[in-house]
Amino acid sequence: MTVFLQAVLSGMLIGGVYALIGIGMSIIFGVMRIINFAHGDILMLGMYLSYYLFTLAGVDPFVSVLIVLPLMFVFGTLLQQVFINRILNALPQNQLLLTIGLGLIMSNAVMLAFTSDYKILTTSYSSGSVTLSGVSVSEPLFISFLVTAALTALLYCFLTRTDTGQAIRATAQDSQAAQLMGINVRRMSRIAFGLGAALAATAGALISPTYYIYPQVGSIFTLKAFVITVMGGMGSVVGATLGGLIIGITESVSSVCISSTWKDVVVFVVFLLVLLFKPAGLLGKSRM
Amino acid sequence: MAKRTTALTVVLCLAFIGLAQAQNVKIGFINSMTGSEAPVGENLTNGVTLALEDLAKKGIKVDIIKEDDTGKPQVSMSAMEKLATRDKVAGVVGPYTAQCGYAIARVAEKYKIPLMVPVAAKDEITQQGLKWVFRPGATSYDYAEIVIDMASQLGKPKTMAIINENTDFGISVGRGAKEVAKKKGIEVVFEESYFKGSPDYRATLAKIKAKNPDLVFMVSYVADAILLMRQSREVGLQPKAFLGAGAGFSVAQFAKEKDISNYVFSSTQWTPDAKWPGAGDFGKRYEAKFGKQPTYHAAAAYTAMMIMAETAVKVGGNRDKIREALRAGQWSGIWGDIKFADYENYTNQNKHQMLVEQVQNGRHETVYPPQQAAKNPVFPFPGWK
Repeated sequence: MTVFLQAVLSGMLIGGVYALIGIGMSIIFGVMRIINFAHGDILMLGMYLSYYLFTLAGVDPFVSVLIVLPLMFVFGTLLQQVFINRILNALPQNQLLLTIGLGLIMSNAVMLAFTSDYKILTTSYSSGSVTLSGVSVSEPLFISFLVTAALTALLYCFLTRTDTGQAIRATAQDSQAAQLMGINVRRMSRIAFGLGAALAATAGALISPTYYIYPQVGSIFTLKAFVITVMGGMGSVVGATLGGLIIGITESVSSVCISSTWKDVVVFVVFLLVLLFKPAGLLGKSRM
Repeated sequence: MAKRTTALTVVLCLAFIGLAQAQNVKIGFINSMTGSEAPVGENLTNGVTLALEDLAKKGIKVDIIKEDDTGKPQVSMSAMEKLATRDKVAGVVGPYTAQCGYAIARVAEKYKIPLMVPVAAKDEITQQGLKWVFRPGATSYDYAEIVIDMASQLGKPKTMAIINENTDFGISVGRGAKEVAKKKGIEVVFEESYFKGSPDYRATLAKIKAKNPDLVFMVSYVADAILLMRQSREVGLQPKAFLGAGAGFSVAQFAKEKDISNYVFSSTQWTPDAKWPGAGDFGKRYEAKFGKQPTYHAAAAYTAMMIMAETAVKVGGNRDKIREALRAGQWSGIWGDIKFADYENYTNQNKHQMLVEQVQNGRHETVYPPQQAAKNPVFPFPGWK
């Protein structure tokens, strides 16, 4: 029983981080109908940023979120303005190629600059844990879960309560109608991409104390983000949060109940089942 | 016109001089110089660089043709084809990884080229009855045997958990560990292979903790080794000993993470502490030249290149004669005694003496076997701080 509880808990904590990655991808898709395959590589940039902020300037990885988040927001808006904006009306396969290409450039540029060596960020609390009636809770993962929860709540408020947030949602629902109502759709696209990039990079900064860092690390997370986004319903923030938690818990519980060799199989079976019964995802509305 | 003739003559002369120099015996060297295995591959390259220095000192002239396989078996195979057909080398040293070594062993057999595999450990490389493949390094079974052997001498372990990466090396060593455990009467209570790169092994480790095994045996590359130990500490997994099978557990980066790596045992093929002739000097020379400690990969590549080049030059680059000389010869040096023999179901396999090292105060110390040990092993595991 303790083992099972442990699995659910650690799955939930890591699922929180997955959710953050998924939400970013979901917002970008919602507003621009573009699947951002450079998402994992943006996360990787966030990891390197927090790694160097820690080793060179002594900034704690969790504090570095305050720097990484705005910096990567600006990076995201620039990326949108210079590259993504040009292909908004292009064929889907061209959009795909562009984001994949951007991702490749990022990971290879980082490899050129910092070599392919694995980097490990070790803080005083990297392997710290608190034990609650037999179940151990990883300190850094718990903090990152709290940060994730706070960020998600803030984002939700931003999207529902503020004018800009509502404009973003309007653009996501119907960009032509939004434009007719006087919303600056281009500006909304920039903000959305900036937000997506900032969230991915923040997720990278949050897991850097417990994970390891290398230039190709992004591909693992791009795939996860994609599965989470599709599962939750493309464009839905709450859906992506739910999707992230489900994937995290499924991975962890299946490696306890069956075997870690089979955990990816279980994850994708769950994914297929969801799509079978809810083709538009858990909280998605099918758009024709 | 006269000028042209002179120029032509000069060019022709130069060409002949070039041809005359190309009479040197050619040796191929395949290694993972780029790609994800590059951090370890670098050690092999450096080892070969030192070997070339020593060969030059002895007046042995060879031409080395280097090929990069980027850690991928298919690239390794085409590199071998090129060396065999276009460069017509006398022999080949390399490659680094188990999957590449396994892939090109049959190519070497096809072209009848002596291939010396320095460290790739997969048992099957020398288990297929191939006549042209030689391995001075240990097999993956040896990796498991030495460290479990030590544990059963230090304590009386009854149960063991095995967790390994699902690569050629990981699966091969994991299987070896199971066989060794059976021989020693240790019950394997948990056995699982995992995909590398997962951020969360806590669930698996909690499952191991619930079985409460005396020994936990792990096979992982660099980064996962650190991650697994970190999360073991988190979930409070506390066996009598953590045993690692070389690779990720024997690099300096792992030892530096004192909080989690202290008292972890790992099997290794070679250390600079080893009491083989010249091992210590090799370590010092390597550190002076490249600014870091050599791993066993460097020593293995050095040894393989020395043997291959010396043998090839002695018999004038004839491949058949090289093979005969390798089978008949005996060597002794920084790698200990080397003899390529057929035993059990191995062919041309050196019975290499493995070592066990333990992290003590952030440094790898050789602790087993007793005649090679520099420090005493700390057993059982004193617990997490």
